[in-house]
Amino acid sequence: MATGTAPSAPLSPAVFSILLSLAESDKHGYLIMKDARAPKGGGVQMGPGTLYGSLNRMMRDGLVEESGLSDDERRRYYRLTNLGRSVLAVELGRLNAAVSSARSLGLIPHGGRS
Amino acid sequence: MTQSRTSTDRLEGLYALALCLYPAPFRLSYELAMRQAFRDALQDRALSRRALIPLVLRDLFTSLAKENLAMLRDTFARPTLVFNALVLSALATGLALALNTIPQQVLRLGANDPQIQLADDLTARLEEGIPPAEALPAGFVDMARSLSSFVIAYDDQGRPLASQAQLNGQTPAPPRGVFDYVRQHGEERLSWQPILGNAHGVRIAAVVQRVGGAHPGFVLAGRNMREVEAREEQVQQMAGLTWIGMLAVILIGTAVFGWYTRPKAA
Repeated sequence: MATGTAPSAPLSPAVFSILLSLAESDKHGYLIMKDARAPKGGGVQMGPGTLYGSLNRMMRDGLVEESGLSDDERRRYYRLTNLGRSVLAVELGRLNAAVSSARSLGLIPHGGRS
Repeated sequence: MTQSRTSTDRLEGLYALALCLYPAPFRLSYELAMRQAFRDALQDRALSRRALIPLVLRDLFTSLAKENLAMLRDTFARPTLVFNALVLSALATGLALALNTIPQQVLRLGANDPQIQLADDLTARLEEGIPPAEALPAGFVDMARSLSSFVIAYDDQGRPLASQAQLNGQTPAPPRGVFDYVRQHGEERLSWQPILGNAHGVRIAAVVQRVGGAHPGFVLAGRNMREVEAREEQVQQMAGLTWIGMLAVILIGTAVFGWYTRPKAA
């Protein structure tokens, strides 16, 4: 049950990368860590402590929940809630605006990748 | 292969030991999942041990600090708990201030008792027309060293006429404002610090009264406050220790109460 308040943007790198990873599908801990580490996931180096600490707070805030799926009792799967998806969309919009602004200032080449 | 498995098992064992440092509710919820994630990371060929170990060590340090701080915050930073502790601390502070102030006032006021009678007696004798030198009781008091009471008679201008006591070989007089006040109100009780030579540290519990009659003037009865001030200091120390003790009890009580009433993990 969510008891906290949803975090306002900007999100911490760990929370952002977890939301981004779970936007694709339900995943267990190590898959989320692996996604976060990849460049497309934000390149966030995260260990199990940070991951489960963040997931604990995100569940309390109602951003994610356990899906109940499990191929092993030690592997817990998580999924985004509607609130989590909205928070991710807001954060992506904020980042997109920042990138557009940087691009218009010539800090990022048009069509280039940051 | 066997050597690699032993190394993996050892690392997993060490990691499991490190997990004991997390707060119990967090550990109960996530220990198995964290160990599994660590095991998965060890088996991930895309992630070298050289990269994994520093990452996990960094993660342990930061997340241990974070989770333990969060546990302390959840346990002890609850508004009701903090409010109760603050109210109790304020009450303890008020009580300690009262324990400090009331006995000090009682001691200070009690320090005037003999002088009031001495001043009354001398004033009565002077108003009867007895010359000051004869009206004063016998004996000499060194104001700096003796704790005995003494009396001094002054004329209407505040100049000493006769004195039972001296400080550094002279008879001191209180500030002119004291005489002006006594001229209007009849009596003043004060802590007087005569300034004569190097005798700045001497403080006198003094009672000054107006003398009427044919030869108006003033009478001062005084006593060195050294012993009274030493007792006041003892009272202050006891009140300070009582205050610190009460705050310690409140702190420990709040910690124990906070721990037993802490929010339980979902």
